[in-house]
Amino acid sequence: MHIKEHPILGEQLNKPITIYLNEQPLEAYDNQSIAGALMANNVKKLGQSRKLVQARGMFCSKGRCCSCYMTVDGEDHVKTCMRKVRDGMKISEGLEDPELRRDIDEG
Amino acid sequence: MDKSVIVCRCEEISYEEIEEVITQGGRTFDDIKRITRCGMGACQSKICSKLVAEVIHKQTELSMEQIYPPRFRMPISPVSLEALATDSQQFSTVKSVLDEIELTDGKVK
Amino acid sequence: MKADVLIIGAGPAGLTAAYEVAKTGLCVLIIDEHQQAGGQLWQQSQILALPDIFPNMRGFELAQFLVERLEGLAVEWLLGHRVIGVYEDGQIGVTNDKDVFPVFAEKIIIATGAAENAIPFPKWTLPGVMTIGAAQSVVNRDRVKPGSSAVIYGDNSFASDVCELLLSVEVNIVAIVKQNKQLGNSTFGDMNIPLYENSSIIEARGNGKLEEIDIQTPHGMITLKPDIVLIDGGQSPILDIVYQLDCALRYQAELGGWLPVYNHQLQTSKDHVYVTGNATGVSNHSALILTGMLAAASVCEALQSLPPEETEVVRNSLYSKLENEEESDTFSARKEHIKQFSTPQLKDQFIS
Ligand code: FES
Ligand code: FES
Repeated sequence: MHIKEHPILGEQLNKPITIYLNEQPLEAYDNQSIAGALMANNVKKLGQSRKLVQARGMFCSKGRCCSCYMTVDGEDHVKTCMRKVRDGMKISEGLEDPELRRDIDEG
Repeated sequence: MDKSVIVCRCEEISYEEIEEVITQGGRTFDDIKRITRCGMGACQSKICSKLVAEVIHKQTELSMEQIYPPRFRMPISPVSLEALATDSQQFSTVKSVLDEIELTDGKVK
Repeated sequence: MKADVLIIGAGPAGLTAAYEVAKTGLCVLIIDEHQQAGGQLWQQSQILALPDIFPNMRGFELAQFLVERLEGLAVEWLLGHRVIGVYEDGQIGVTNDKDVFPVFAEKIIIATGAAENAIPFPKWTLPGVMTIGAAQSVVNRDRVKPGSSAVIYGDNSFASDVCELLLSVEVNIVAIVKQNKQLGNSTFGDMNIPLYENSSIIEARGNGKLEEIDIQTPHGMITLKPDIVLIDGGQSPILDIVYQLDCALRYQAELGGWLPVYNHQLQTSKDHVYVTGNATGVSNHSALILTGMLAAASVCEALQSLPPEETEVVRNSLYSKLENEEESDTFSARKEHIKQFSTPQLKDQFIS
């Protein structure tokens, strides 16, 4: 849930924007991290592990653990706890290693 | 502790797997790393290094100060190869070579 | 890129050092991976205990104060930049994710701080299990409720501040679980939160996210259904950059584990590299500020922007303040660490 009225920081004054998780529109605010904005929309699973294929979500929120990797606007392995949301941003779960040949094939 | 617990989140290496290396004579983080891949994941042991040290400490006679932290190598945190090859201040040979490469059907011409 | 002094990390210690150095006329370059200077202070909404030279303020107020104080001084910023390595000639490799370039400085001050430690248990990798600092930053940085009911697990080093914060945004704290050897279950502080001591989480369960945990207490096993578990495993100094710079290290449990050796000047085994803040050992906010000033004084002395006699006076008064304001165990560990400067346990570790 978004905190509209923070007990110490006061009212949320940032602009509301829309981000898309697998095409589905979600409400976010300027200046939020992607992982934080998803958490507000009750999305906790951000990706899955490579070996045991288990759900992963935000862990350290400091850009250290890499548990929050997702694909953002076509870029793989983005640390979503560190990257800020942007209006219209397209996000999908970090499910596997990037397909290295993709750019080449498409281009 | 439950032996199935994951110690290295990135490479999904369990307590049991680390213990196995120690039984075989492994004593350092790097011993464990070379055999199991523990610590070689995306975070480059930022999360598991201390946990592995605790496992070694529990399983051996070694005190914490005898268990050295793993080697930290360049790059300290993940960076794209393109950024790594680019140097805006100086001429970058790597970048210029990459830029020159033309690809057809995914192969270098 | 060039500067007299390069400061890595724009948290409280780095910003304090920047001010003290720039004030003497030297030119300072500050690097931080965030777009905004202030480090973890932005997430700290509690009132901090600070050295008497500052009024008491909240973390984010201190961040603002420390940044504003640098206006008009010879300070250059590389925000949104990360140090990713060291070149063969000693220059620092910096990236903004588009480009990698070298930075040269006469002196380097490492202010990279500390990172939270984890406490593993079966299925701790489930989404919903995170560090307590992560929950704090979700609330204060993102203004988002991390969950609706929480269990806090760990040694309670900064649990009470975060408990208050969570309660104030209506996150229910269903239990605090501590592994210490104390006996008995009681409640935590005056907040009436159930406290389980000498207990541990033995398993988490959930389908794609945390749904249930089992806790082994001295009086038997209990099962709770929180949607977040917040791990409070204490902190350890971040080592990556000092390791790359080939600074010698020592283990000092009270200071958070492995850390670079440093002398009275907070100078490491590499003459041009100094440390400050939590990178010199995990401590309180006063110590972050005071060690920031200490490292800065030594750097100014070395670059002759402060006369040696004056520096000595400044240093002595800072050390006596530090002794008063820091936990006594931490301060004695620090003294011991300084004494052991010339006998590191790990050195020349970096082979490129
Ligand atoms: S949550 Fe750890 S890197 Fe993002
Ligand atoms: S947790 Fe072991 S490499 Fe990331």
